[in-house]
Amino acid sequence: MSIRIASVALLFAIAPAGSLSAGNDDADHWALQPIVRPTVPDVPGAWSDRVRNSIDAFILARLAAEKLTPSPEAPPATLFRRLNLDLTGLPPTPEETRAFLDAWTDNPEAAYTNAVEHLLDSPHFGEQWGRHWLDLARYADSEGYLGDSVRPWAWVYRDWVVDAINRDLPYDQFSIEQIAGDLLEKPTLEQLIATGFHRNTLRNTEAGVDLELYRTKEVVDRVNTTGTIWLGLTLACAECHDHKHDPVSQHDFYQLYAFFNNADESTASLPLTPELESYARSLLSKKDLEKDPPAKPSARARTFRERTKDRRESFIHERGDYTRRGETVTPGVPAVLHGIRARGESPDRLDLAHWLFDEANPLTGRVAANQVWQHLFGSGIVATPDDFGTEGAEPTHPELLDWLATEYRRLGWSRKDLIRLIVHSSTYRQSSTVRAEYAEHPTGNTLLWRQNAFRVGAESVRDLNLAASGLLEPKLGGPGIRPPLPEFVTEVGRSVKWPVSEGGDRYRRGLYIFLKRTVLYPMLTTFDASDTSVSCARRERTNTPMQALTLLNDPVFFEGAETLGRELHEIHGDRFDAALDDLFLRCLAREPRTAEIDALRSAHDDFLRESGDGEAAMIAVARVVMNLDEFITRE
Amino acid sequence: MNYPTGQDPRQAFSRRDFFTSAASGLGTVALASLLGEEGLLAGVPGAKGPHFAPKAKRCIYLFMEGGPSQMDLFDPKPKLNELDGQPMPDSMLEGVKFAFTQKDSARLMGSPRTFKKYGECGMDMSDLLPHLSECADDIALVRSMHCEQFNHLPGQLLMLSGSPLRGWPTLGSWLNYGLGSESRDLPGYVAMTTLGRGLPGGAASWSSGFLPSSYGGSLFRNQGSPVLNLDNPDGISGDVQGRSIAAINELNRQRMEREGHAEIASRIRNYELAFRMQSAAPELIDLSGESKATLEAYGVNRQDKTGFQSSYARNCLLARRMIERGVRFVTLFLSTWDQHSKLDSGLATNTQISDQPVAALLKDLKERGLLDETLVVWGGEFGRTPLGENRSGFKTVTGRDHHPYSFSVWMAGGGVKGGQTIGKTDEIGWGVEEDPIHVHDLHATILHLFGFDHEELTYRHQGRDFRLTDVHGKVVKKLLA
Repeated sequence: MSIRIASVALLFAIAPAGSLSAGNDDADHWALQPIVRPTVPDVPGAWSDRVRNSIDAFILARLAAEKLTPSPEAPPATLFRRLNLDLTGLPPTPEETRAFLDAWTDNPEAAYTNAVEHLLDSPHFGEQWGRHWLDLARYADSEGYLGDSVRPWAWVYRDWVVDAINRDLPYDQFSIEQIAGDLLEKPTLEQLIATGFHRNTLRNTEAGVDLELYRTKEVVDRVNTTGTIWLGLTLACAECHDHKHDPVSQHDFYQLYAFFNNADESTASLPLTPELESYARSLLSKKDLEKDPPAKPSARARTFRERTKDRRESFIHERGDYTRRGETVTPGVPAVLHGIRARGESPDRLDLAHWLFDEANPLTGRVAANQVWQHLFGSGIVATPDDFGTEGAEPTHPELLDWLATEYRRLGWSRKDLIRLIVHSSTYRQSSTVRAEYAEHPTGNTLLWRQNAFRVGAESVRDLNLAASGLLEPKLGGPGIRPPLPEFVTEVGRSVKWPVSEGGDRYRRGLYIFLKRTVLYPMLTTFDASDTSVSCARRERTNTPMQALTLLNDPVFFEGAETLGRELHEIHGDRFDAALDDLFLRCLAREPRTAEIDALRSAHDDFLRESGDGEAAMIAVARVVMNLDEFITRE
Repeated sequence: MNYPTGQDPRQAFSRRDFFTSAASGLGTVALASLLGEEGLLAGVPGAKGPHFAPKAKRCIYLFMEGGPSQMDLFDPKPKLNELDGQPMPDSMLEGVKFAFTQKDSARLMGSPRTFKKYGECGMDMSDLLPHLSECADDIALVRSMHCEQFNHLPGQLLMLSGSPLRGWPTLGSWLNYGLGSESRDLPGYVAMTTLGRGLPGGAASWSSGFLPSSYGGSLFRNQGSPVLNLDNPDGISGDVQGRSIAAINELNRQRMEREGHAEIASRIRNYELAFRMQSAAPELIDLSGESKATLEAYGVNRQDKTGFQSSYARNCLLARRMIERGVRFVTLFLSTWDQHSKLDSGLATNTQISDQPVAALLKDLKERGLLDETLVVWGGEFGRTPLGENRSGFKTVTGRDHHPYSFSVWMAGGGVKGGQTIGKTDEIGWGVEEDPIHVHDLHATILHLFGFDHEELTYRHQGRDFRLTDVHGKVVKKLLA
């Protein structure tokens, strides 16, 4: 076995040269140090007016130390579009942009504050930040593997996530309910639905498979997912082996495994609203209806429930093979971390959930703050949000990370409060323009002398097109939708049924697209949506010709361009400049520049010559703007 | 339509702009392909490049979904025929798992096929492979493959990606990650299918897994529009498309100058590549330039009820055309070889579909001087049992169950030593007796042929350096020329 490959990954393995660890003791690793609220540093006097809150002090002090200067504030239109995309994943409407710019002229600070409050209150906030969470929760609407059967009620959990985030359920409670909602005293229906989190694992029910093998794989996935989401640890390696230097041993892994090994799949009955009833009825087969008496429609959320009898014994699986029984283990936490308090004789899942949020836990707060930060800057303070071990990235701003971790707790784990704090900082409000003098700086922009510009997530790529064209159906929640797909995509999987959604459902946000694991909606995959197999803490951001072909030619995207071009032509007729102003405002929340007007007028003239039709030419121009890099970029 | 100066999307982008985007470490297909084209790959940060001189530059993987029956095609077992109808010794069945077979009442099942020795090397092939047998001297036949996955999807994922679990990159992704693409106008990794009942893994069968999605395979169809979204929308002519891309890139360029974001250069490149693909992909699947002799050799115009014969023949011919156009990795899926029942007729159907085109492909590659640098691999995810399958509910026993303990694959070209048979199974074809070759070993060997030390081609994910062969794999020296 190759030690290099097999064991480096182990958490807190021997600290490599150059790591922050001061010595050979793993416990010296930075991420394991207790979180102490750092003193907010002083910044050079000339920059004092740039300090809107403590975040700026940490960032500016570091820039000053590196002899870098921060960037000016982004133009108000850019700021407004940035805020909208970051907080809701949708672009601002022309009316909203105009109103914001008017308010900005009167009082910039008040305008900005009001915009932030408005967006935090928007129901679309929960959709955007819920999507981030669903990546971590490896959410999908089907089982994966060969049969890849549909999970017709998985969306109930998805809607719980969106709703919980909208009502700003504190992050500790939000987590506890998902990890162990079933063990809470008299759990509410909502708290049981939250445990659907554990039900998002892949599930293999292919005829003839070793069912116990795949059950243990699901338990292993639950351990790994917990490690990724709350501890920022890659526990996966300890499934199969350990290493004499590793504080997180195979023994530790199976102690964690034991927390999850005695719960079963369960369901919770949902009250039948007329809408739910009609959906439930649509799921009944002909056979169900022909039964005597005919099967009744019922709505049942997928939950996870601790078993009370026939409890399984947990043991180490030698080399990850469950048939090779090793030492027996009981629920416990890694020895290198703080101790766990049990409510009863031995700790259970609920104790584990509380343990994660114990003040002594050095990881959860840092990891959580980092997750929020990365969505507002494009990259985390720790660039590997799923790996805070010695093989992961080091924090670019360790004190800031710790300050944020303590602040998050001080704010009662309010996600909205933390986001409010970050987006109000001058650091967040900087321009993302690359200044020539730093273009080749060896640290890149890790020290944040500017904001980052980055392509929006896959779902937002769709949402932007639908919103700008006015086609978007903003309805929240409910069963997944199926936009049109060519047959040659669906026929690849086994017996994939893809009944295309009708009416407004076709134009709903990317979040609601049905996630069939063997046939993920190609547009989402093309733009790097998570593949739903395992917990995903950070999406790739690729840039490919397939993306260009999608934006240019996908019928769904072209319909947006057609709708928008037609409307602009109807409103503005031959007044090209006015049409262009309108187009830019809808798509980019700004006015076109002279050089852009010239280039597009020339293109428009050519389109007009080609087709002889003003409407067709305007559609082509709209299509150009909806294909710009800027359109799908949050600057 | 005339393009305004500097706005022709086909106009080459400056080399300096290239490096701007290369420096940001964007390992996209487009970037890698164009740098590869200019011979600059070695200088690109993040581009791997081979560890030593590769023998193989491209690969055609003929994936036989479902598990072809080795003892009816490549591995004759006279003793098995003798013991037809006898039970298997208990000792051999201990600890063995089946998908469907009921162990206690299962009986050995001989093969009705006739075998002969072919080529100067004297390779065994059955009467179902009249065409392939003409290529025996170019083929390295491995009869000692084995793995531990006895269900389709885990087995297929293992064979395709080195792991029975979902989420790992497939072989074609690893090779594109390691070597980049050589094609200016086409993706570096293409999958095509001839499907009876669909693929268990769906798109996972050509997925880039945890590698960046730009290394994933693109699914091509062999007629109509070959790629998703390749056709212009209705009402958008080729000229309007070209003019649109010129305008898009002009505005992107203006913004790049204003904002300085390197990512925009990559975006511009990709619109150019997309535009080129729009003409290259239809040209690729247009067979009108192929000679009548070639079309006949592959059997493109063969007619059968399902259309599979001509579909598979087209795919084989298209694989050659892709290789000629610099596509690094092509997988052709043929589904299904999963004959739990009606083995004889099922095998006949499958070999009627595939024997002629596969042999034609080998001969064609050789004639064109492409075989030396093109590795061709043939095989499924496992083999089939020497026992007849007696699953409950079956009235008669006419098929074989899944068998991962020994099965056959073959390879040709790309630095493989042809004209040899490697490995030996026991006399009833249950287990491997000589030269056991695990799937990981096959992968290690394929990477070796492409110039990679399989232990060194790694990608960091979830805190670990992952590789195709996980923590296993030995290069099979006997396979190398």
